[in-house]
Amino acid sequence: MTQIRFHHARLPNGLTVIGEHNPAAQSVAAGYFVNTGSRDEHPGIAGVSHFLEHMMFKGTDRRSAEDINREFDEMGARSNAYTSEEHTVYYGAVLPEHRGRLLDLLTDMMRPALRESDFDLEKKVILEEIAMYQDRPNLRLFELGSRRFFRDHPLGNSVLGTPESIGPLARDEMLEYFRSRYAPNNLILALAGAYDWDATLAQAQAATEGWQPQPVDRSYPPLAPAAGEDHAGDEKLKRVHIGFWAPGPSAQSELRYSAALLASCLGDATGSRLYWALVDKGTADAAQVWHDAADGAGAFMGYASTSPERSAEVLAKVKETLIAAQSEPPTKEEWERSRHKIATSLTLHGETPFGRLMSLGNSFLYNGAYQSQDELLARIMSAERDDAAEILADGAFDRLFAMTLGPNGKASR
Amino acid sequence: MTVADNTEIRSRRLDNGITLVFEQMPWLHSLSVAFLLPVGSVTDPADREGSATVLYDWLSRGAGDRNSRAFNDELDGLGVRRGGGAGRETTNLSASMLARSLPASLPLLADMLRRPRLQDEEFGSARELAQQELASLDDSPSQRLSELLARRYFTSAHGRSLYGTEQGLAALDPEAVRADYRGRYAPEGMVIAAAGGVSWEELSSEVERAFADWRGAPPAVPEVATETPRRHHVEADTSQVHIGLAYPGLPPQHDDWYRQTLAMNVLSGGSGSRLFMEVREKRGLAYSVHAYTRALRGYGYVLARAGTTPERSDETLDVMLAEIGRLGSGVEANELERARIGILSQLVMQGESSGSRASALANDMYLRGEGRSLARIKSAISAIGLDDVNSFLALQSVPQPTVVTLGPASSTTATTVAPTVA
Repeated sequence: MTQIRFHHARLPNGLTVIGEHNPAAQSVAAGYFVNTGSRDEHPGIAGVSHFLEHMMFKGTDRRSAEDINREFDEMGARSNAYTSEEHTVYYGAVLPEHRGRLLDLLTDMMRPALRESDFDLEKKVILEEIAMYQDRPNLRLFELGSRRFFRDHPLGNSVLGTPESIGPLARDEMLEYFRSRYAPNNLILALAGAYDWDATLAQAQAATEGWQPQPVDRSYPPLAPAAGEDHAGDEKLKRVHIGFWAPGPSAQSELRYSAALLASCLGDATGSRLYWALVDKGTADAAQVWHDAADGAGAFMGYASTSPERSAEVLAKVKETLIAAQSEPPTKEEWERSRHKIATSLTLHGETPFGRLMSLGNSFLYNGAYQSQDELLARIMSAERDDAAEILADGAFDRLFAMTLGPNGKASR
Repeated sequence: MTVADNTEIRSRRLDNGITLVFEQMPWLHSLSVAFLLPVGSVTDPADREGSATVLYDWLSRGAGDRNSRAFNDELDGLGVRRGGGAGRETTNLSASMLARSLPASLPLLADMLRRPRLQDEEFGSARELAQQELASLDDSPSQRLSELLARRYFTSAHGRSLYGTEQGLAALDPEAVRADYRGRYAPEGMVIAAAGGVSWEELSSEVERAFADWRGAPPAVPEVATETPRRHHVEADTSQVHIGLAYPGLPPQHDDWYRQTLAMNVLSGGSGSRLFMEVREKRGLAYSVHAYTRALRGYGYVLARAGTTPERSDETLDVMLAEIGRLGSGVEANELERARIGILSQLVMQGESSGSRASALANDMYLRGEGRSLARIKSAISAIGLDDVNSFLALQSVPQPTVVTLGPASSTTATTVAPTVA
């Protein structure tokens, strides 16, 4: 089998550089993982992390926005970026001969010009993206529900922000946010696939020499989540979209693997308890649960979709199924099936440098440690069913929070 | 070694008309298998639109000697991840697994396609689910636009909704759908494509054991027919106006196929491509704007999509139409090189994933009658020069797209059709 090697260095300016070298890979993926997201925003600048992510593609002192777009294309890069509540990630995957150029481009992008004219133009694109989300009720539901579930905890902050927060946002406010969050010690440069480590490290060191470290913090207030039910009426909708939340293990918890398995047993898209209770019978066209492991906190989340006439029935069934699991944890057979399902998914995901880059960067951001694909698989395959019982014994599903979005029909509450 | 250029595509045709096509990826632990049958909404029985969709769901509700629960538990226990559904011309079932699970899982998948139980008591749920998915389109304007655009663009049965219609679904009963199963699920014309870490000999003998004694042929897929281009607006209370364009392209086996591929990539490939630059980067009109080719058997077409707030929808549409028209004047050398590099790079990345290769081979076999190796596509793309692309583009007539917009009342001159058309 091929020899996978892990590389790790910390530059004098605080930038962490990591790599997973795979001699059999035919491409290389590289990315900057920034430990910042909507949870690090105050209400006055809601959505700035995501808006900034767009602005990072709009040019640097050396490059115009057009240059950046063109250069990605000249390398044939599969590139993009995303912003979540906790992370902002910029990445590209290219053939190995373009590794140096990709690194040069991504690194330069991390010191953007943030030109006023680009800021004004891109604001329109952000407002269009918000409008696009308005036409996707399942996504809107999670923005609404997360805010209510997490209450004043910053994990409930909206990633996109609103027209009211983005509209008046000034370029200088973004610049201030950038300066406080994009210090080298808050960034990880990660690579996966075919690359030369010594050359990579030397290049990263030279290109980031002028970057100044500075203290960066993140607040971890205790999570005191909401329970109960809430409803947002929207007469334009024909369906009822149901979201639900319950507290669960964090990304640092040893129970996180078992939490993923438990969520799969309860609410995988096929073959789970919710599937048999609702989707198999045609009562709901979707009913899923997943575990969202976040920094210092975590939650089980779920989604179901049904007709207004049946929404009360579906929500009752979701609750009944989840609460019943507290006294009837997954059986040995259910646990085993979920292990194999997750193992297959992880194997497929880990086959490409791009897939490995995402696991590598995110797991390092959360835990500051490397985890190989084999180690990750081993953790899933050895996660104990007793852990699930321990998670469930906490009675989290008794304190489920449910949010419905749909028309205000007589049966929808 | 793991060099995709040298990878060989193996294929064989079984006596019953099934084509097996395979690419070995010996360095992978996974195996992906894509089953493709010429069963889609185009061959749904008249007045029973949605039959193929309900059938696909019903198939997995018990097969062979296992009931629904036991059948699904067995596949889950083997770690087989499934996906798929009924499309316009074909039904696709993809299964990804660890390579060592092939001998245990293939007989189960064969049961599903060949020996589904199709029991009365499961029929109601299968149809109910299809009805719910159809109803969910109302809350998903972007998907709804796709269906509206197909309905307007095609005058053949290709314009039917993938989700069926309320009337069509209501007209179904277990006996009729069982008869539909017997008429349409058959080995003739079926493709089994696989890629991953097994050997050709093992795969070939497992497929033979599971499928060789099946017999039968499905009805032929009808020819494509399209409307005279028009503009349509469908009123809906949405936040954005969803814009969709469709116009003819080349059929997949056409000699100029790769010239079109390169030209389309200049129009809408990477982030420096024309549509993205003109619509989003220079004007900030939309977050999302794309154009791409779609292939049916013997027919190809181009779709272009964008979403934007109502007051900017006319401008967005104008810019899209202008860029589509401008492509006829040719592309620049540097644009072509970027498009080429983008395509070649994507091919290498596709060669790293068993799932991507299996589904690409299944489509190749259906659309072209042969599986193309990545090396072959690469050399075809590499051989095309600027003059080749520009002389090809110069000969194309100016596209006259069918345009469908979905959103609040618009100032455009489009014919407004009743919003009930789904």
